[in-house]
Amino acid sequence: MRTFKLKNPVYIASGFTIVGPKEGDGNFGDCFDVVLHDDLWREKSYEKCESKMHRDAISGAIKKAGLRREDVDVLLGGDLLNELSSTSLAARNFPSAFLGLYNACSTFSEAMMIGSMLIDGGFIRYATCSTSSHYSTAERQYRFPLELGNQRPPTAQWTVTGAGATLLSAVKPANFNHAVSEDDVVFVNESLNLDPKDVEKYKKDIEKKREVINLEKSNIAKENYSRTMNDYAAPYTHAVRVTGGTMGRVIDLGIDDEANMGAVMAPAVCSTLITHFDKSKTSPSDYDGIFTGDLGRFGKETLEYMMSKEGITLPAYYMDTGASYFTPEQKTFQGGSGAGCISTAFNGYILKKLQRGELKRVLVAATGALLSKDTPLQKETIPGISHLFTVESEAY
Amino acid sequence: MNRQEYQNYVEQNSPKSPMWRTLVAAFLVGGAICCVGEGVKDVLSLVFKDMPEKTLAIYESCIMIFLGSFFTALGLYDKLGHYAGGGSIIPITGFANSVVSPAMEYNREGVFFGICAKMFVIAGPIIVFGVAASFLVGVIYCFAV
Repeated sequence: MRTFKLKNPVYIASGFTIVGPKEGDGNFGDCFDVVLHDDLWREKSYEKCESKMHRDAISGAIKKAGLRREDVDVLLGGDLLNELSSTSLAARNFPSAFLGLYNACSTFSEAMMIGSMLIDGGFIRYATCSTSSHYSTAERQYRFPLELGNQRPPTAQWTVTGAGATLLSAVKPANFNHAVSEDDVVFVNESLNLDPKDVEKYKKDIEKKREVINLEKSNIAKENYSRTMNDYAAPYTHAVRVTGGTMGRVIDLGIDDEANMGAVMAPAVCSTLITHFDKSKTSPSDYDGIFTGDLGRFGKETLEYMMSKEGITLPAYYMDTGASYFTPEQKTFQGGSGAGCISTAFNGYILKKLQRGELKRVLVAATGALLSKDTPLQKETIPGISHLFTVESEAY
Repeated sequence: MNRQEYQNYVEQNSPKSPMWRTLVAAFLVGGAICCVGEGVKDVLSLVFKDMPEKTLAIYESCIMIFLGSFFTALGLYDKLGHYAGGGSIIPITGFANSVVSPAMEYNREGVFFGICAKMFVIAGPIIVFGVAASFLVGVIYCFAV
């Protein structure tokens, strides 16, 4: 049984995203919580930066849901680096249990499935699902040094610099945002009978500190809170539930071009989608949002072609987050890819649309190409994988 | 859709490199880099009037290697490479780029196991083949003369 349906409600309490500057200029730019000014984030290496993004995405999601770090039972997450280094290094900052996962770029939906199953089974109450990727760390691990003057092939994709975290919860979340009220209130207890001069001094002190913090903040990140998609003060109108999913099978149709990931992953998504529609007795028209991970523009065309051969027409609102991630002027050729692509697009764009009730029933299929740097050199072909989960929104 | 069908589909439908655009860009940029090299040699021959041709060529190569490394360090050479492709890889400046770029990249792992160990990750094969070929030619030359 690869397709499952959850019996108990599993809610998405919050989502948090941090992305790099190029992603902030892309199509989803106004949806992200934090957009960094530079992709080093004042760290000494890109790996450290990725780990920091991952850590802060998780703690951002926890804070946004109004919880404390101790409340979270399990961290589920992964990234593209060897031995999941950025996720593991991020996880050492939390008192929760940690399960490291790897399914290349489909790690996010793998984490969402496992997290919702654990909550459905009553083993835990809260879990975070997070993935991250960084353009510079992925280039270095899978391709060439950054400064090497080589040409990228037209089938290449651009690894997204970003980290996204989702907090799954067994209890229905409140419909307002906790992050705002906690941060911005300076609390002075009037009943303490303090000298007014002291209070004045204290307030001035706080004001000074806040100025410094604001300056620091503006140095690292663009202010994204005022944009309409990111209105922190507005209450949510809908609660979001994870309802089920389909676990993917590893599919290898013999593509060995590591620069053409879309062609590697398209058959895997096709297989997962067909299994899901078949086993859950649904059709594409039952969903008002169908999203795939990071197939890219060519991969998206390939998937549509393969599905039409199987007799299923994907609707016009089907979106590949990788293909839609960047604008054509950003010269990424096929669009975004990487573990951070679907997690930032889901938490930044899809989840916010669900929370406002603009989408009701959504299917998300993240896709991954399972290769290491050495396997193509050893003349192995590249297998693909795709996991799928479905989410629904319900009015409060 | 079976394996062979799919592979054929991908091969036929994948986006291809724009052949003429890349060829012209490579020709123009590669030619321009070589022109700069010739210019450097001309200036050298004006400054050092009695320097023999062979020594001039050695100095010219050194200056071009320096320029290639310098613009790599400034982060400009990879931008040229994205546009020109082979035009900026084949000249000696491209070789300098392929040595300096991993050295910069692995700088964070320290001097010994970072810079020194990883410096020839890309240029290594070129050096191995260069040394092997010169050895072979030397042996042939030894017997022929």
